Amino acid sequence: MDQATEELTQSRDREPERKREIGHDEFDPIGTLVLIGLYFLILVALWFFMYFVEFLGNDPTVVGLVLTVVGLQ
Amino acid sequence: MSEARDAYIDNFPAEAKVVRAAFYSSFFALALGGVFGIIQTLHRTDFYRFIDPADYYTVLTAHGVFLVISFTIFFLVGIFTWAITTSLDREVEDIRFTWAWYLLMAVGITLSGIAILAGFIDSIDMSASVLFTFYAPLQAHPLFYIGLVLFVVGTWLAGLDWFRSWWAWKAENPDERIPLPTFMVLTTTLMWYLATLGVAVAILFFLLPWSLGLIETVNPLLTRTLFWFFGHPVVYFWLMPAYMMWYIMLPKVSGGKLFSDPLARVVFVLFLILSVPTGIHHQYLDPGIAEGFKFIAMTNTMFLLLPSLLTAFTVVASMEHGARQRGGTGYVGWLKALPWRDPVFAGMALAGLMFAAAGFSGMINAGMNINYLVHNTFWVVGHFHLTVGTAVALTFMAVTYWFLPQVTGKALWSRSVALGQVVLWFVGMTFMSNAMHRGGLLGIPRRTAEPQYDGFEFEAAVGSVGELDAQVALGGVLLTLSLVLFFANVIGTALNGRSDALPANEYAETLSGPEDAPLVLDNLKLWTAIAVVLVIFAYTFPLLSIIDRGGLLGPDVNPFPVSLESVAFLTFAVEHLGTAALESAGNAVQTVVPGVIR
Repeated sequence: MDQATEELTQSRDREPERKREIGHDEFDPIGTLVLIGLYFLILVALWFFMYFVEFLGNDPTVVGLVLTVVGLQ
Repeated sequence: MSEARDAYIDNFPAEAKVVRAAFYSSFFALALGGVFGIIQTLHRTDFYRFIDPADYYTVLTAHGVFLVISFTIFFLVGIFTWAITTSLDREVEDIRFTWAWYLLMAVGITLSGIAILAGFIDSIDMSASVLFTFYAPLQAHPLFYIGLVLFVVGTWLAGLDWFRSWWAWKAENPDERIPLPTFMVLTTTLMWYLATLGVAVAILFFLLPWSLGLIETVNPLLTRTLFWFFGHPVVYFWLMPAYMMWYIMLPKVSGGKLFSDPLARVVFVLFLILSVPTGIHHQYLDPGIAEGFKFIAMTNTMFLLLPSLLTAFTVVASMEHGARQRGGTGYVGWLKALPWRDPVFAGMALAGLMFAAAGFSGMINAGMNINYLVHNTFWVVGHFHLTVGTAVALTFMAVTYWFLPQVTGKALWSRSVALGQVVLWFVGMTFMSNAMHRGGLLGIPRRTAEPQYDGFEFEAAVGSVGELDAQVALGGVLLTLSLVLFFANVIGTALNGRSDALPANEYAETLSGPEDAPLVLDNLKLWTAIAVVLVIFAYTFPLLSIIDRGGLLGPDVNPFPVSLESVAFLTFAVEHLGTAALESAGNAVQTVVPGVIR
């Protein structure tokens, strides 16, 4: 791409094509709710998964130590 | 033609030079840090080892300090100066003062850099292989600490420069609200002043005199705690400028407006209040700090999730506003209407996406009990490569493609290369960071040159350690390529001719403006006072208890400059102590066992 085309592309993309003007009262960020809700569900799922990684994926740590100390193991 | 141009360099030619100098200093540090990054990646994963393992820690120190101190902070003083001058629409009060703080920072970091790099040359009796955290008893050459002090004082003067501009503007506009970008700069600067008190005390009262030989010993737990007093809020010093870009640039490049100016102010106030009294969450495994104090730090940390989640909402809503104005429809279909081919937008959006992932690993780090699982493992390295290494670094690189033409007056060399660069960074970091996180769960340690041991293997439930190493190395190579593309663009732009078709120097408008924000949000004195009180609550008792137990200058610890001689000395000492201990243990057993048997 030569420089003239480059600059043209730049100035064109810099002025995003605005098809309509949406004001404060018309704007309903429902898509944001969907994305943030999805993120929340992912967090909950990972948090749940964490239990398996920490307590079932490894030998018990703190619990094992206590059992050893009090002579149950 | 040229009269019509309205770029930053046209309105603020003198300031543009300082901002440009700060950017170039930042990019130089990025280049150095990147080189050390790929060296250590290939060394650790055993794909290509050409340095001595003992030099690994010098490499690691250089990688850390150059990237998280010089790259980030030089860049942010550049954009903060841009933000102040642009949003107040006034030149700096005295350009000589502005150059003075820039030069002080440059001299400071150069001195520290010399001390670090001298560690590679055996004939020079100087080293600073103390890693970014410079924990005692690791000891650096005094030049390292002196350089850091000068650098931080430079940033303090920069903050004063921004405050001077605001004071002068306020005298002329007594009834106006603080413009949002200026508000962000001022709150971040106040947080920085408070945070750097910790590291200033650690260096000036303890580490520097100790390194100079004026005092014999230090209390390692005290200097560590003072380091983290600064070490956690410093991450927000890197992050706040990235947030600022997401709030005031991202809506504009998306084709919309910032959803809410008041929410943005609330977020920055919360960071001012909550950033500092959380540092002890880096010390969950430090003995000598009571669990109760750690619990308070954890509570404060969890509260810090609030401003980040508020940011997620506001920033995504602003992007959605842009997408809908561009004709986007549907629940998720609007995402397609966003300008993904614009590297400035794509880079920032991908950085934000990575930050969402980092949010989860951060929550794991923040929980006191779960932290035990990942503390000091490769997981933590994975976490901060998502935060500072992507959310911050990728945002900075992306906005560079907008700022560089603004401060040079030249067109960007190539937008296609820029787009490739930001995508490559995202892909490279996906490989590297996810493998680091998984490695951490297997117990693979961080800060280790060659994490492989005789007679022991890390066991992976899914995949293998070899596969993880391959992903880390592949990621590292992709990130290095991305950096090469970035520098090609920076150099190409610098060599370009003057352009007459630059966009105007503007930032995003707002849907809900400052007139909707309660006046109290602009009361900086109040928020600073609350921040100070919280710091006093969180730190007085832990610090007193540390001093009470270990003394102000601590128990007798030997300074330990990392060099080959000291390693040899240590080996010798360990062997002899070990033999002596074994002998005495043997003697004890000989004495006790017959007694027990009898």
